[in-house]
Amino acid sequence: PPPPPPPPPPPPPPPPPPPPPPPGHPRACPRIPGAALPSPPRAGGAPGSLQVPPEVQPFSRASQFVRAAVILRWKTLKEHFRGRKNRCYKLAVKSVRRAFVRSTKARREKKRFLRALWITRIEAASLEHGLKYPAFISNLLKSQVELNRKVLADLAIYEPKTFKSLAALAQRRRQEGFLAALGDGKEPEGIFSRIVHHHY
Amino acid sequence: MAGCTVPSSCSSSRIRDPWISAWVMQRSKSSPDPVRPRCLWPCTHRLVAKTSLTSPPWPEVKLPDPVEEAKYHAEVVQKVNGLISAGRYGRLFAVVHFASKQWKITSEDLIMMDNVLEAECGDRIRMEKVLLVGADDFTLIGRPLLGKELVRVEATVIEKTESWPKVNMRFWRRHNYQRKKIIANPQTVLRINTIEIYPCLS
Repeated sequence: PPPPPPPPPPPPPPPPPPPPPPPGHPRACPRIPGAALPSPPRAGGAPGSLQVPPEVQPFSRASQFVRAAVILRWKTLKEHFRGRKNRCYKLAVKSVRRAFVRSTKARREKKRFLRALWITRIEAASLEHGLKYPAFISNLLKSQVELNRKVLADLAIYEPKTFKSLAALAQRRRQEGFLAALGDGKEPEGIFSRIVHHHY
Repeated sequence: MAGCTVPSSCSSSRIRDPWISAWVMQRSKSSPDPVRPRCLWPCTHRLVAKTSLTSPPWPEVKLPDPVEEAKYHAEVVQKVNGLISAGRYGRLFAVVHFASKQWKITSEDLIMMDNVLEAECGDRIRMEKVLLVGADDFTLIGRPLLGKELVRVEATVIEKTESWPKVNMRFWRRHNYQRKKIIANPQTVLRINTIEIYPCLS
């Protein structure tokens, strides 16, 4: 019988991670040689010290300023990212930056789509009472009831009786508006209308 | 609909509209000739065909009799006054305009404003701009505000803190431009203690 194959050699042990460069190292940012470390953002981390987590492999020449801030931010955001974005420094920097920019823009857009949501809800509720949204809102404003859309949406959800009375108020004001538009039923005096009605 | 005064009909706007099918021709004083006889509404036959502009696009509107309506309104107001003075209402809710926002509040509510209030913690505050007050059976709708002698909303300042540090970041790609700012807005927390109404409707 053939001899059994030799066992495979054991894999070499992984090399130990290189230690992070100390603050005074020449490889650290040469542009600010004597500057003190920047104070990190308030979201986590002791001020004045660069706390690099052990699982980070710093392999870029990013300035220490950016690296400290990014790493500290990244520690708090680590749970939110999927894939290598939550482990590898280069990818994490990009993702964190985009996340911050998007959250800044979203704070402005949140106001817009919340208002659209309120309008949708008010429209649905006023249609239940037989009024369309523009009629409802315009007639409420003409009756000097200055409730905003947020509150109207809340009333439509939690206070249906109150919303019904508001819809009735708007409907009544609408009818009075129609009557006012028709006026007395007479032509203004001294005007010869081009639209001549000959009724004998 | 209870508690709110219905608006009286607005001033009629005199606009020339083709829907009116009876109009009075001006008799010219100079000509003594007999003019066409005045047309009285309704006519038995019409020379002008019925078009889309003969009647307005909305259905005909008939308002109830104003005298009867006034009686009904007075009755309703009396009833609501009676309910308020007898205290026959449960939990009250109010819509209050405060810190440039409108809030729908009840008693024992917590409110957080995104700005500074010049009052110490523990101070009792009265919110004066009340837009709406309601209970289960009736609602008082202000136009736009309710009177100060009608409603009283009291709140206490509980906490004055700062918000969580929000990151404001701007970044233009390929232009080496990024700005990062951390903003912590001051916030104030209020607890609504009571909402009271007094029976002085008229």
